[in-house]
Order: sequence, then C-alpha cells, then structure tokens
Amino acid sequence: MTSYVLRRLVQMLPVLFLASFAVFAMIYAVPGGPVAVLVGENASKEEIAAAIARHGLDRPLLIQYFDWLGNALRGDFGLSLHSRQPVMALIGERLPASLQLAVAALVVALLVGIPVAVASAVRPNSWLDRLLSGWSALALGVPTFWLGILLILLFAVELRWLPSASRHVPFWESPAEAMRSLILPALTLGIYVSGIFARFLRASLIGEARQDYVRTARAKGVPERRIVGLHIMRNALLPFVTIVGLMMANFIGGTVVTEAVFTYPGLGRLIIQAISTRDYPLIQGCIMVILVAYMLINLAVDLLYAWIDPRIEYR
Amino acid sequence: MRAGSGSILQLLRRLCGRRSAAASLAFLLLVALAAVFADWLPLDPLTQSLADSLMPPSAAAWFGTDELGRDILARVVYGARTSLATAFGAVVIAAAIGVPVGLVAGFFGDWRDSVLMRCIDVLLALPNILFAMALIAVLGRSQAAALVAVGIAGVPTFARIARAQVMALRQLDFVAATRSFGGSSGYIMFRTILPNAMSPLVVQAIVLASIAILLEAALAFLGVGVPPPTPSWGEMLRTGKSYLHEAPSYAVLPGLVLTLTILSLDTIGRALTALLDNHDADLAERRGS
Repeated sequence: MTSYVLRRLVQMLPVLFLASFAVFAMIYAVPGGPVAVLVGENASKEEIAAAIARHGLDRPLLIQYFDWLGNALRGDFGLSLHSRQPVMALIGERLPASLQLAVAALVVALLVGIPVAVASAVRPNSWLDRLLSGWSALALGVPTFWLGILLILLFAVELRWLPSASRHVPFWESPAEAMRSLILPALTLGIYVSGIFARFLRASLIGEARQDYVRTARAKGVPERRIVGLHIMRNALLPFVTIVGLMMANFIGGTVVTEAVFTYPGLGRLIIQAISTRDYPLIQGCIMVILVAYMLINLAVDLLYAWIDPRIEYR
Repeated sequence: MRAGSGSILQLLRRLCGRRSAAASLAFLLLVALAAVFADWLPLDPLTQSLADSLMPPSAAAWFGTDELGRDILARVVYGARTSLATAFGAVVIAAAIGVPVGLVAGFFGDWRDSVLMRCIDVLLALPNILFAMALIAVLGRSQAAALVAVGIAGVPTFARIARAQVMALRQLDFVAATRSFGGSSGYIMFRTILPNAMSPLVVQAIVLASIAILLEAALAFLGVGVPPPTPSWGEMLRTGKSYLHEAPSYAVLPGLVLTLTILSLDTIGRALTALLDNHDADLAERRGS
C-alpha cells in the first residue's frame, strides 16, 4: 500500500511540473510579457530596466521557472499587483470561506443524493424511480447560477427569510449566523452535486443488485434491508467513489460560480477579481493552489478506493 | 458497420418516438431557427429607451425590458446566436484537436501514447471553468477567447473516447485486412478506423455542446466571457441579478431558455446513447446468429 501511494505521487509529478510550467509561463504569453505585467505598458526605460534587474527577467526561462517554483513551493507567489499584499496571505484569507462552503454543500449533497439513489434503485423503472431520475436530471441540468438566482428570489426577495448576499462567518464562532449565511449557497451547490451522486449511485446500485451474491443472500433469507444496506451498498460504493473523484472538478467549478451568485468572499471570487484587474501573480497563486488541491483530492479518492476494496492489490 | 444516411434517418425516427427526446428536438429546432433567422424577426436587441427600462412582460415586450429599456426577448434570441455559435465552434475545436490526438495515441500505443496522454492529463489538471478562465486571463476578454477556451476545455473528452475506440477496433480483422493491402497508418486511422468510431463521437459532440453552452454562460455570468454589448444569456443573468427586486423576470426568463436548451441537449444525448447501445447490441446479436 505504501509503495502504491508513493508510485501515485511519483506519477503526479510530471503532470504537476507541466501544469505549473504552464501557469508560470502564463505571464510570458500576455501581450507585452512579464515586463508589461509588472510595471505597466507605459513605463519608462529606467523602470523597465529596474524591473528586469530586480526580478532577474534577463536570465534563461528555465532558471526563472525553477526559481519561481522553488518560491511557490514555499508558498511565496510574490506580491499582488493590485493590493501589494503577499499573494499567499490573500489566498489564506479566502480559503477557509471556500472550504466551509464546500463542506456544507457536500453535506446537503449526501443528505439528498444518497436517499434519492437508494429509493430509485430499490425498484428500478417504478414511478418513484422515474420521478427521482427526473429530479436528478433537473439537478444536473439547471445551471447553478440560475438556481441560485431562483433561490434568492424566493427566500430573500419574496419571503425575506434569508440574506441574498452571504458573508463568511466561521462556523465555530457563531453556528446560527454561519448557517444563515451558508444555507442558500450550500443548497445551490449541494443540489447540483446531489444530482451527480444520485445518478451515479443509482446506476451503481442497480448494477450490483443483479449480481449472483445478492440472489444467494435473498435465497438464504437475509432481510432485504440488510441486503441493500450492507451487501449492495458496500459494493456499489466502489465505482461510485471513482465517479465522485472525476466529478470533483465540477464541484470546484461550481464553488466558483456559486460564490459569484451570492457575492460570497471565497477563493472563487478572489480569482475572478484577479482576472478582471489582470493581477497575474494573484491569478497564478490561486490557480496553483486549486491545481494542487484538486490533484490531492484525486489521490485521496484513489486511496479511498484501495481502502474500500480489499480485493485490489497494489504492488 | 458504417452508419449510412438511411440509418441516420432511422435513428432520427426512433429518437422522435421517445416523447422527451422529440420535445427536446422541437425546442432546440425552435431556438436554432430563431438564432439563424433573428435578422428577419421584428426584434431589436440594441436600441435603448431609458423611459421604458425594467418593464415587466407585456404584449409589446413579451419578456419585458432590461435596465436600458432594450427588449429582453430580442436579446434572448440574439443571445441564442452567441450560445449556439460558441457551442458549435467549441465542439469543432475540441474534435479537431482531440480526435487526432486520441487516434494517434490509441493506434500506436507506444511513447506517443504516453506523451499525448500526459498532455491531456495536464488539461484535466484544472476544472474546465478554471482552465477557461486562466486562458481568458492570458488572451484577454473577447468572443474568440471564450470560444477557444471552451473548445480546448473539451479536448480531453474527445481524445479519450477516440483513443478507447481505436484501441478496441485496431485488433479487428478489417483493420488487419487494410494493413495487409498496404494501407498506411494515416489511412488506417482516418479512413478505416475513424468512420467506425463515429457514433460515440457524435454523441459526445452533443453532450459537449450542452457543456459548452453552460460554460459560455457561466463565463459571461462571471464577467469574463463574451464582452458586452453582444447579447449573451450568461451576461443577461449577471445583470438581471442586480434587478431582482425591480424586475424579477429579467433574470428568470433568459435563465429558463438557457436551462431548457441545456436540458434538451442532455436529453437527446442520453436518448442517442441508449439507442446506439441497443443498435450495437442488435448488430452483435445478428452477427452472432
């Protein structure tokens, strides 16, 4: 198992190198290149010369890359061009808000998705199954930003129960206030993700229910609840976990959009601000953080898979 | 084995046999026709009239008017152009890059496979909306940038499906036969294998079109997509969100059209997948007997 983890980590390296190089090289692809990015397009010759000397822009590209990567690995992405604060500090301010939203949405998604999947898989093609499958299709098909707008219209504009713009309140400081701010964004993102969960877990459950061991268990007189809960569920989770890993990208993307709908102060809004102000060090920092997080999540999913299924041997 | 025009008509007829798929097809046709013939319709998406701003839906303006007094229905119709053009362009870009990459990787399966697939992994290293945003950060905000960003984000799926198809087909007798006649690798890949791998790729194109429309709208909603004043559904939702109190229909109706378009494409994609699976099963059965 340890060697499997190591091998997966080693496999990640080339992708991480290439992707980080692309992120680094981003500012070279911008019109005017890194000089224009750092000092603006109307800088004097002296300013340009000073910037080149200060940042070592006259050195070979690869040397500059390894220099940048070395700093990035220490969490140093330089200063934001806009606010002149360290990029990592800005990201550090926003990351907890995004994580809190992601966890809350995951809770909603599991609470809705798993019961929906089980209820429709127990009697495939029944009216309930068709109704719930329709629900999953809707949850997946309705754009998160439109769903968010509809929820705001209902709960904030019409009923005036909840705020339309969400603040970040750390959950441990004031759970009630945090819930009030989080409930609409978490519902918006969570309903979408629950559609993913429901659709794929249903398929996976139905596939398992046709297996011989289920028939054997039934023939032995094992109670139905135990068959579904213990036998089928455990085996159906395997392919399901892979799908969830693959769908993680949609989850992260959904977080960015959801934050924009509710003007929620997370990492997603930071990156949008960075793009609209052309704050390249900040863009690079945000993208690298998301890139690494996403790759680690995928690794974690792989490991979870190995842990759930003792049949798979990892040499 | 190759799907001829007869079988495409047959497929279309079977598709229309499913009620949800037929309804989806009808809706898409309506949107597409409106987008193509928008110039001939009595609709004006650009003329401003501040006296008539943020009007609710009425006989004169079915979807109401926006903050500058422009007709929202007209903007939705012209926005369909932006959406459909982006979707079409993105699918073409994704297929033009992804399919050859997948074919070469799967056909040779040697170092070329490793190198190409690592590059695809790099494209997959970021969620596609972030990938598109990063690309727009470099290219600047424009319609072309949105199109390229959405298109490149779709490359990995095409590459993977083409690769899987080639790997399944290259062992079969008709490929070996072509090779024994002296067919070059390029000929075998593009003229022998590709035509037989078309159906999953076509289904993928439809699925990707719905993803592209969603992605384009999301980028515009985030304020980094097609720049104004070009009408775009995502941009309308973005602005409409600021007027939820004054004119709730502003954000609701364009969003409804967007959602129905995406759902329709998704429904057709899934119906086609099911039909093609049955079709393949039929073929296999016939050949087995």
